[in-house]
Amino acid sequence: METRQVRKITMSGRVSNESYITLFMIGVLVILFGVACVVVPRFYLPQNMINLLTNNWYTIIIGIGVTFLLITGNFDMSVGGVIAMTGVLSVYFCQDATAQQNTLAVGLGLPYGVAVALALLCAMGIGAINAFFIARLKVPSIIVTLGTMMIARGVAQIATNGAQRNTSLPDVFGVLGNFMIKGTSIKLAVLVMVFLIVIAFVFEKKTVAGRRTYLIGANSEAARLSGVNVTRHLTTLFIISSLLAGITGILLASEYKAGVSSRATGYEFDALVISLLGGVSIAGGFGSVLGMFVGAVILSVVTSSATGLLLSPDWQFTIKGVVTFIAIVAQRFALDRRKGLKTPRSTVKGLKTPRSTVKGLKTPRSTSEGSTMR
Amino acid sequence: MELTDNVLEIRDLVKDFPSVRAVNNVSFDVKRNTVHCLVGENGAGKSTLIKLLTGASARTSGSILLNGEAYTPHSPRDAKQKGISTLFQELNVVNQLTVAENLTLGMEDTTLGFLRKTDKINKMVNAMHSLEPSITPRQLVSTLSVAKKQIVEIAKAVASESDIIIMDEPTAAISESEIKRLFDIIKSLREKNVTVIYISHRLDEIFELGDYVTVMRDGKHIATKPVAEIKDRSELVKMMIGKTVFEQYTPKEGECKDTILQVKNLSNHKLNNVSFDVHQGEIVGFYGLVGAGKTELARAIYGVDAYEGEILFKERKLPPFPDKVIAAGIALVPEERRSQGLFTILTIRGNIPVMNMRKISRGGFINAAQERTVTLDYIEKLRIATSSTEKEAAQLSGGNQQKVVLAKCLFADADLLMLDEPTRGIDVGAKSEIYGIIRQLSQEGKSIMIFSSELPEVVNICDTIYLLYDGNLKATIRNGCAIDSEKVLHIVTGGNVTSGDGGGNVTSGDGGGNVTSGDGGGNVTSGDGGGNVTSGDGGGNVTSSEDGE
Repeated sequence: METRQVRKITMSGRVSNESYITLFMIGVLVILFGVACVVVPRFYLPQNMINLLTNNWYTIIIGIGVTFLLITGNFDMSVGGVIAMTGVLSVYFCQDATAQQNTLAVGLGLPYGVAVALALLCAMGIGAINAFFIARLKVPSIIVTLGTMMIARGVAQIATNGAQRNTSLPDVFGVLGNFMIKGTSIKLAVLVMVFLIVIAFVFEKKTVAGRRTYLIGANSEAARLSGVNVTRHLTTLFIISSLLAGITGILLASEYKAGVSSRATGYEFDALVISLLGGVSIAGGFGSVLGMFVGAVILSVVTSSATGLLLSPDWQFTIKGVVTFIAIVAQRFALDRRKGLKTPRSTVKGLKTPRSTVKGLKTPRSTSEGSTMR
Repeated sequence: MELTDNVLEIRDLVKDFPSVRAVNNVSFDVKRNTVHCLVGENGAGKSTLIKLLTGASARTSGSILLNGEAYTPHSPRDAKQKGISTLFQELNVVNQLTVAENLTLGMEDTTLGFLRKTDKINKMVNAMHSLEPSITPRQLVSTLSVAKKQIVEIAKAVASESDIIIMDEPTAAISESEIKRLFDIIKSLREKNVTVIYISHRLDEIFELGDYVTVMRDGKHIATKPVAEIKDRSELVKMMIGKTVFEQYTPKEGECKDTILQVKNLSNHKLNNVSFDVHQGEIVGFYGLVGAGKTELARAIYGVDAYEGEILFKERKLPPFPDKVIAAGIALVPEERRSQGLFTILTIRGNIPVMNMRKISRGGFINAAQERTVTLDYIEKLRIATSSTEKEAAQLSGGNQQKVVLAKCLFADADLLMLDEPTRGIDVGAKSEIYGIIRQLSQEGKSIMIFSSELPEVVNICDTIYLLYDGNLKATIRNGCAIDSEKVLHIVTGGNVTSGDGGGNVTSGDGGGNVTSGDGGGNVTSGDGGGNVTSGDGGGNVTSSEDGE
């Protein structure tokens, strides 16, 4: 008797809203891809498909941190600046200390490993500043991270006199960013991205810490009262987000063998856009890394078909903007419909919703009571 | 125009909510230029009645006459234009504007959308100065105290020629001296052709201020009387509670021995020197009206609010962090279900295990099968009405949401469970189910603290009841015999703790041992031979801990 009731409860579970949105966005991706294959010459070539998945590795890596923070209800707009800062600093730390050319060629002369480690520490320092103001002093994340975005980029500019550092670097500096898997055109950075996505996916779905990320976003006060150390968790996430941006900065600097102060300008917005495209809720508590990945591919399909159609780069922003806007609106609309035509963020107004469902619920309840009685 | 004798006439007013009739056939008159008090326990229907008067919600049936004319407000703004202003507990002033700007807010004189200086401001300011000369019009409202903000609002209502000003517990957040000043102003309003409808839980204020009083209970109108005709507090209290029947409580078998929680001299922004013990397996109730400090007490123990004093749990000092308190073995069902307890956008499965993730995980990795089993287990145990573990918590009814929050805390495996208003806003069936769960927990040796503003609730299930008033622990009652609910209400509305035998001494529950003095001067109003809160086994069992001011 009891087992039957148990089964009744489990089996009636639907696809979760999160999977629903991910599937929805995969559907959007398939349609966009289909259209692009027809319209854009040579779009269907396997090499192009691989490029679609791999070209955006840097946005996807920083997207991981940005996604998790969005799920907690916080923004991280500092990632672009951190990429630039880390790249420039790794170059500066590594440059020959005794170079006789101009000042931009003189660095600290540290071994490459040490230079990278130090640069990553500086990146995490930015994350720690974010965390201190946001998690501890409760300053809104958008304000703090816009500030640290400029501070980080400012550091990059000071260290490069507003330009770049690209001389007197040891050969080892260019290895990481240009390493390719034998016989393919897949870079190490892409492997790092895949690795990080897998880790993030496991973190999100399987771990307690991953679950806490959602709890904080869903209701941070309830999370605190349920024993989640919200401050500590947010601190960790902000530091990880900056670390991911730092890794991206190291890889990009290595690829170009240069620390460029204007590197990654606007990447924070790209990371935000792919998260939103992937269904992450800007109000927190909802979304997934997988969705973010799908969002990244959608964005890359759109950008590369624009390029393939020989549209001038000036048009790309507009096209990106329009597609993103339509996709996100459609996604919200689909979710609303699924939830029974109420706006997703009206949970406050939603006081009425549970009440209206009371009647619907009464029936199963009375039957379940009846069955347990017997 | 001839003014009617009654400024307001309420006839057969009814307001239905889906599961409850909140205002049930209420009829009474409010005389012009009087202070008319409205009293009743929590949930008596006062707030709903006020909402009907101010247009915040629409009545189901019945009629209201304002100045002899039919009155049907569509919104608070509409009500204001028709002559009824309200002073809510959450004040309606804009802190960032000046006093003068606030006075004319919403009724500024304008030309093409630009503000125009007119006489209106002067009129408003004059009205305000006649009430309180110390406020200057150019002052920012944020620099004023709560009481002065209230005065600004009153001035606004007076100057806009309101017939009636409704005041909802205006003294809840202001100091003694400010209360005196406010009362003077309220009294002076009678001469300004204003009728005041005054709501308060503090009964003394009614005697000081009121001309008439209307008592409500369970949504019904009990009586409307001139205050002068009411003998004393107890008569009022009697009307407020009626005959409450407490038959459900069954005394606990055996004594509770081991002390699990000791609170010593706990004080903070709300609490004043609170001390008590909780024993293993005991159900302890904290009863008091809104603002008595119940929630603050729970939050202090839970490590959310700062405090002075000492809290020992299992003879160890509790660290002031919720996560550590939970780890020590305490769980809290918070007061506000939706904003503090529940993750509404997550599923039931996402809600139930969160307070004890360690139990469903190994090395930080969640065991999905265990998680599901636990969720199903509690859905079954607490009979949560749902078709799926994957249902969003927001889609459940209030009672089932509360069960989810309760399940969450039960899963925490706490030895001490704190429940703040555990049955607020849920239907009778779910209520008694929750009481059943609480009793069962206590039999399993768990200690439970219930913070409630419903007397029947604490009396039905608690072994020991503490009465709170204004942050003070006023009295202790050992449950088990007929409880004199009048006395209880007398105490929690600010009355003095009375003694049993006229000697100023109140004895403690255990057979008359420790005699704690209930002095405080002249407040010994001895009851009828056994004016104790409970008439107990060989000795009254009222412990007065704090007394008077």
